[in-house]
Order: sequence, then structure tokens, then C-alpha cells
Amino acid sequence: MATTKRKKAPKKKAPTTKRPSPASTNGEAKPKRRTTAKAMAASQREISVSEFFAKNRHLLGFDNPRKALLTTVKEAVDNSLDACEEAGILPEIWVHIEQTGSDRYKVGIQDNGPGILKKQIPLIFGKLLYGSKFHRLRQSRGQQGIGISAAGMYGVQTTGKPVKIISKVSARKPAHYYEIQIDTKINQPKILNGKGDGVDIAPGDPGTQYIKKHGIEWVDQPHGTRVTIELQAKFMRGRGSVGEYLEQTAIANPHISLHYCDPDDYVYDYERTADSLPKEPKEIKPHPYGVEIGRLAAMLQEAESMTVGEFLRTRFSRVTPAIAKRVCATAKVSSRANTNKVGRAESDALHQAIQKTKISNPSTDCICPIGEDLILKGLHHVVPAEFYVAATRPPAVYRGNPFQIEVGLAYGGTAPTQSISKDLLLELLEETDARTIRQFLIHTFNGLGSDAADKIIKTAALGTRQAPGKLKPKESDKLFTAMKNVNISDGQTMEVMRYANRVPLQFQQAACAVTQTVLATNWRSYGLSQSRGSLPRGPVSLMIHIASVWVPFTSESKEAIANYPEIQKEIRLGLQAVGRKLGMYLRRRLKVKQQTDRREVFLRYLKEVSSAVSEINGAKQSELYSQLVKVAKKHTAEADMKFDDRGRPIDQDPKDLDLGENVLIVDPASHAAAINRIGGEEDEQETDDE
Amino acid sequence: MAKKRAAPAARRAKAKLSPRDKKTMSRLTGLADRVVSAANARRDPHVDIPSRTLSNVRYSPRKRILEMGSNKNRRQLFDLSQAKAYMRTMLVASGCKQLLDQGKTTSLRGLYYMLKHTIEGAKENTFDDQGECDTIIEDVEVLLNSIREELHLYAENRGALVGNITLRDRGDVIDCSRMGSGGYAIPSIVEPEVIELSSKMCKAKFILHVEKGTVWQRFNEDRFWETHNCILTHGAGQPPRGVRRLLHRMHHELKLPIYCVLDNDPWGYYIYSVLKQGSINLAFESQRMAIPDAKYLGLRSIDFERCQLSDSVKIALNDNDKKRAKQIAKYPWFEKKRAWQSEIQRMLKNDFKLEVESLISKDISYVTEVYVPERLKAKDWLD
Repeated sequence: MATTKRKKAPKKKAPTTKRPSPASTNGEAKPKRRTTAKAMAASQREISVSEFFAKNRHLLGFDNPRKALLTTVKEAVDNSLDACEEAGILPEIWVHIEQTGSDRYKVGIQDNGPGILKKQIPLIFGKLLYGSKFHRLRQSRGQQGIGISAAGMYGVQTTGKPVKIISKVSARKPAHYYEIQIDTKINQPKILNGKGDGVDIAPGDPGTQYIKKHGIEWVDQPHGTRVTIELQAKFMRGRGSVGEYLEQTAIANPHISLHYCDPDDYVYDYERTADSLPKEPKEIKPHPYGVEIGRLAAMLQEAESMTVGEFLRTRFSRVTPAIAKRVCATAKVSSRANTNKVGRAESDALHQAIQKTKISNPSTDCICPIGEDLILKGLHHVVPAEFYVAATRPPAVYRGNPFQIEVGLAYGGTAPTQSISKDLLLELLEETDARTIRQFLIHTFNGLGSDAADKIIKTAALGTRQAPGKLKPKESDKLFTAMKNVNISDGQTMEVMRYANRVPLQFQQAACAVTQTVLATNWRSYGLSQSRGSLPRGPVSLMIHIASVWVPFTSESKEAIANYPEIQKEIRLGLQAVGRKLGMYLRRRLKVKQQTDRREVFLRYLKEVSSAVSEINGAKQSELYSQLVKVAKKHTAEADMKFDDRGRPIDQDPKDLDLGENVLIVDPASHAAAINRIGGEEDEQETDDE
Repeated sequence: MAKKRAAPAARRAKAKLSPRDKKTMSRLTGLADRVVSAANARRDPHVDIPSRTLSNVRYSPRKRILEMGSNKNRRQLFDLSQAKAYMRTMLVASGCKQLLDQGKTTSLRGLYYMLKHTIEGAKENTFDDQGECDTIIEDVEVLLNSIREELHLYAENRGALVGNITLRDRGDVIDCSRMGSGGYAIPSIVEPEVIELSSKMCKAKFILHVEKGTVWQRFNEDRFWETHNCILTHGAGQPPRGVRRLLHRMHHELKLPIYCVLDNDPWGYYIYSVLKQGSINLAFESQRMAIPDAKYLGLRSIDFERCQLSDSVKIALNDNDKKRAKQIAKYPWFEKKRAWQSEIQRMLKNDFKLEVESLISKDISYVTEVYVPERLKAKDWLD
């Protein structure tokens, strides 16, 4: 074909530039070619993973500054916990967030893990898709090996500051200190300090002094790793905040200790309540059902020459010689054929044969659930409530991957708005970026519905659209009293905490299989009120944990769990298990309340009746009243008897209810978390060294 | 309220009781005394209230009115679901006692406000809306077998009257033929103590009752009552007790026949049924209110063709109307009447209803000059 004179497209521009050529505007009928295949080839080149993710950082959870901060903390903490648990160390984590500019924050996360070998440090923190977790099937928090390096990349991109890592393997060996940047073009780490080689810090006193001199942040301990990333971010409290994430992490991981210092120098300490590590998860081979055709072909290729039968037996779990034979027979492939000679058609046949053959479910001992006991402990430690229940479902399987569902529920307790202190309220008011009071209330206090917020505002006689930062002292006083006095539990909705392999999921609630199943469950039969298609109302916190060797997320940012019918079924059964217990508790409570009410109702009306009667016939009101009270006592005597036998006041009776082992009932008034709990967030305590 | 009641005697001088009031008062005191004696005997105080439901209403073919059966509902103080109702019953009784004592009357709403207060030591009101109070008042009426008037209660005036009759209302002589365009507003209480009727002062020969004020206006403007020498009344839809009682008294004391001009729809039929036999809710007052001889003059379901009305006046029946019509057809007092059965069937077959105003489409005064006179002359009515 005839080419034009305009042979070169400008370099590095996308080949399909839409600039109209001057010729074509002259009404020439024949469309001209703008470029050639050769010219286009010049600009076609490989895209490195890091370049791709640098452009598409929202895929990894860096959509906005607020989320970037959370994702950074989350990835680092998850990695730390994985490392500690794998090494068999009870994890202790320090999280420190510090504001360095108007929209810049420095995030430091340190663990007491095993440390990282010197040559691995730059790769782990400075190369995307580098890690130990992708190639194996084992229950762990991280899965891909993308997170922490992506966080570092984001930090470098937005602030230009390098990622600082210090890691120590043992007390006697030197600590390694690195400042690295990721080279996005080639997806390789670039080491900035020590002439591109990093710095070794000697153990003992000289090292400590070096650390001090160079301003390296490090909490002294024999082994562990600290990563410091400076990034463009936005610090917020409430929903989807770092605080919420850490709090939820503490619930699901009662064996960890967490120290969190927020930008305002508040220190939140979550001490561990369990002193043993969870059982170590086993690594398993893939189950044939879960293997796709492409993966099967790849595995066949990777396998050194062996027979197909042997291949099936050794590379998959639950494939016995008999099953291997049956698969081969169905696929019409000789079980003695060499894997090298298996072509595309045969592997396709094998794949289909696998689906047709009945293979027992994978072993499920590779999953380690939190356990009902620890769920109760974790919930009790963090969520103030009066009734706790937990249920761990037996393991199940989706697409050949074993998984296990656990559900915990906490009911009742004081609302966060009621336990807040005056000073904290003032601070919250100051720092919030909500534009209206209403927004502020809804976002700051977990589980506070819009109805309840309106009620508080109405009681405080404030305008709905008033800015929270500009309240006069008198007005914030009013708000404070209103928050204390308004009973908000009618407007409160259930708080759903989702976990995947002990990691809290905070975003994309609606897209998640967990939320959908919670919504589809009929909570009314368990004594909660629920309108169609929405979460049930009431002071309820629900945690749902899915543990699996491979959690099916809907996207790389790991925010929502995909909808597999097997998973939904297990969640539903778990919800029903806790729901039944809750229902029993609530019904019992209601019954007792009714009995107490009964007496009250009578007594309340007796006065009215007696004065009305005395008005009519002139009978003595007080005399008649005392007579009627006596009759009332006679009538409710039965109720008294029941409780007097046990020597307990009526209102404590529901606590005697025997609901089995996985239930915890406490007196909400004496709950530690209820007293200290502030602002719907953590147990907040000012540090002594401030 | 409770505080105010502390010294009831000192508050106001007691009015002198009429013999009728004395009877009511003794019934009220009896009610209160039973509470005291029950309390002294350590028994449940309770009241037995004749039930005002369809199941406790009986049609008496001999008297041709609805009568209340003997079923009673027990209301106990020491029953969770009834305690509040019991308390309210006593409150209403004490309120009525105060009215009697002072020789005053009040409206239903007035009594509601009189008794409404917050119960001591609870965030609960004795009454939350007037409807709650009104039903209790009806309970007290049947309980004491004393009608509302005897309890010194009245409802809002509703309905009007005009015609060749002169009556005395609290001593004032009222000539109902000189009432202008508004007519004489029929009071809620029309007992002989208030309104005196005398056959000497009545020249009218019959009563024409129409459904609502607008139609009544038409008749009044055309001086229908003058040309036909009658009394013209309306009850603003379902006639209130005052209108029904006055019609009853005029019918019996002055021997005037009553003809009704109502809409041709289930609602109109029901109004006629209430005037004639009494209502279910107030079956205990049928004796004093029902007029079994009242006649149904129109509108009839055949009128669309008989009067050659245009299609535009039709109003389609809705499902509710149809259901209601079938219910009415099954009432024992309509069931055996072939004329009524065919009337209702015809309406259902027509599948539309007609309002009295639809006759205006023929001519503004068609109803007063042609329709009603023709029907009266031909004695063409349903019974």
C-alpha cells in the first residue's frame, strides 16, 4: 500500500493519535494511513509490573490519600504478623504515624519478627511481585508479594523520600539499614545509602549510638524489622481509618500486642490476651478440582519426566493411585505416558476428566481458625457489650480450596457517644473534616445511624448544617449533654467486621459475599429488628472470619470476598449458629423484662384508678390504693417466688441462662472497654511520657 | 390532675341534680363502690362491658331494629393487656361525675383534655389521642346503660334542618321556616329537656332527609319545603346521633313519615340502613334512634336510564365498593327484601354509582322540581 510522506509518528506517543491530518480535511475521500506497522512497532515495548501498578495504583488500594495511609499500614502489619507467626514468635507490633507536612505523613511499622537477611531486604521492599507466599498454598495474610513494595513505591512517587528499612536477625549480629527506592522502569530496587550497599550497624553500644546519631527510628530489641515510609496521605478517624483497622486486627488476633501512636501522639495499647500462637498452618498441594486448564498444562510442563499417573499422584492432594487411574481412563490418556509427551489436547481431556471424577475433599487440617474461645476473648477485650457468642464452622471446600468460617457476635453495651469524654469530643470536633455536625456524628462514631444523629442534633437544638469546627463553647456543651442523654440504640445498625485470614477488610462492604449473606439472613427470628434489604438494628457487632489457603478476593486490593455459593452457605450456617444463641438470650431477657414490667404497669395504674374511684364515691384514696397494691402483690407473687428462690434480683436472671461453652455474658456496667472506650475507636490512654 | 383532685369538694359548689342526673349518679357511684368492695375482699376489680361487635348484634325482625345481644367482655384491672383500659374506664367515669356535679356539659374533645395527663412516675399519658377516649366513653355508656347525653357529653353540631315547624330549644322558640339559607343546626343533644316538640306547632306533613349539605342547599334554595310542606334535613354524610335522635323523635312524636334521598352507592345504602335499623356500634341506642318506617326514595340504580342521564355522570365502582355492596346485600334486614336485592344487583351490574348531584346534569332544579315530586306522587320508594 502506498505510504504517505508522514512516515514517522512522534516517538513515545501512543500510535493512535487522533490529530486530524491536514490532507484529510480537504474533503479527500480516501482515508489516509497515519502510521505503519513498522513505525508502530518502534513504540511497542514491554511494560514492567512496577510501571503498570504505578499508573494503576488504585488496583492496590492507593486510590486516595486517606486509603493510601491505611493500605500502607495494613500491608506492613500483615507482613510482620505473617513473619512472626511463621517463625514462631509471639508478635509485638509498633505502629507510629507522624505528620511531616500538610498532606505528608511518615509511617513507621516495627515488629519483633525474625528479621530479614541482608541481601533479601532490597528485593522484598523494592521489587514488586517478590515474595514467598504466592507459589504455595498455605493460609497466610499476604498472598501476592505486592503490597509493601507498592506502598514504598507510592511513597517515593508522592514525596520522593526513600523507604527506610532496618532489620536485625539476632542480638549479636549487626543490624542492616537500607534506604531504597524502586526503579519503576525495570522493577528493581535502587539502594541509596552506603554507596548502594546499605549500612551495617554493629550490635551493642556503638550501634545504638550510630542509630541515635543518624536519627534512625528503632525500638531496641534483639531481632525484628522496621520499615519507614513517608507518603502523601490524609489522616482520619472513624470508618475506614488506621485506628479501626488496628482495633479490628486486635479482635481477630488476640495473641498479638499492638502499640499505635497516632499523629496527635495518642498511644493506643492492645495487650495480648492469649499467650500462645495459633497452630501453624500447613502448606498443601493443590486439589485437582481447583486447578484450571492453563495451570494444569503449566504444571505438566514443569514436571520432570514422569508418568502421568505419578504426576497426578505426587503433585495434587487427595489423588490416590486408584483415582489417578480412573482420571486417566476417563481422559483416555495412558497413565504410563510421559508427561513430556502430553500435548494440549490430552491435558484438556485430563482437565475434563478430573472434573468428572469423584475426588474426596482436600484435607482441612491446613487451616487454622482463631477458635471460639479466642474470638470471645478478642471481642470482649475490645468491644464493650453484655453478650458475646462465637461459632467456628467445620472446614469446607470451594473450588478445591479448603476454607473455614468463623462468626462472633457481641450484643448490647453502652454506645460510644455515651461514653465519650468532654475533652475528646472537643478534640474530635476540632480535627474532623466533616462539613456538618450530622456528618461528623455519623462518621466518627461507629454504628451510629443517621436517625440517631438527627435525634442528638435535635436534642442539642443545633442546626443540621452547622460546621463542627465552628461550634461555640455553649453549643458544644449542649451537644455533649445531648450525646450523653439521647438513647441512640434504636437508630443503631449492626456493625459488620469482616476478616480474611485474620486481616480486617474495611472497604467495598456492599460487594462482599459476607455482607450480602448477613443482609440475606433473617435476623428478625433472632430477636433483632431488621427492615427488608438492610442490616439489622440494635447495638450489635458481628465479626466474620474466613480462613483459607487461598481467599477468593474480588480484586488485588483485597477488599471484598467473591461470591462462591459454598462460602455463602457456610457463612449463613455460622450466622444462624450465633443467631440462635442471641435469640435465646434476647427472648429470656425480654421475658424477665415483661415480668418486671407487669408489676410496674399495675402499680402505675393503681394510683390513677384509686383517685378516680375516690373522686366518684368519696372513698379514701390512700386506703383504697394500699388495698389495691396488696391485691397486685398477690397477683405478681408468683413472679417473685421464682427469682427469690435463686436469691437473685429479677434483672440479673438472663445471665444464668446456660447457652453452652461458646457464649460469654458479662455485666455491661463493669466492662473495662465500656469505660475506656472513646470515640468509637480504641481504648485511648494518654502516655505517661508525654 | 392528681393534685387538682386533692380537694374536689372545696373547689366548686355542687349543682342541683335533675332526677335523670340522679339516676346516672347512682349508677356511677355503684361502679366505684364495686371497686372498693373488690379491693377490700382482695379480689380482682373488674367491669363487664356489653360487647359492641357484629357478633353481639342481633336483628329483631319483630321490632325491625338492630339490638344488642347479651355478650359481655370482662375488663380486669390485673390483666396486663387490660389494665390501662380499666384505668381509663374509671377515669372517664370520674370525669362524668365531675360534669354532673357541676351541672355542665362538655364536648368529647373537652372530656379528652380534661382527663389527659401524664401518669405519675411514668412517661405515659392517660390518653394519647381523642379516639382512645371516645371508645372508652362508648364503653361507659353501655356499661352504665346511660347514654352520652346523660353523662353530660356532646359531640360537635352536625346536620341542619329547615321546614314548617317551630320548636323550643332551651326555651327559645325557633321557627324553622325562617332560617335563611343556613338552616337550623341540629345540636348533638336533642333530648326533651333541650328540645321541645309539639304537634301543634308543626304544619309539615313529612320529612325529607338528604345525604349532604350541598344537596340540602339545593332543596332549600328552591323552597322545596314550602311548596311541599315538609321538613328538610341533612346529616352531612353518615348522620350523627343528634340528627338520628331528632328524626326519631319527630317521626314518633309528630307522626311524620320520613323519606331519604341518598347517593346511589353502597355508602348511601348503608346510611339508609343505619337510619332505619341502627348501627352495630351503637346498637344499644337503636331503641331510641332507629326508624324502621323510613323510606328510600332515591337515587336508584335504575335512575340512569329512567332519567336518561348522560354517560359522563357515571362513577366507576371500585373493588371496595363492590365488596361493601355484597356485604350489605347479605344484611338480614335486606336479605329477605326482593326489591332491595334487585336494587343492589342492578348497581353491581351497572358497575357504576350515581351521586344525587348527577341529576343536575339534566337541569339545576331537576331534583327538586321533577325527580322527588314524581317519586312522592307515584309512591315509588324502597322500604
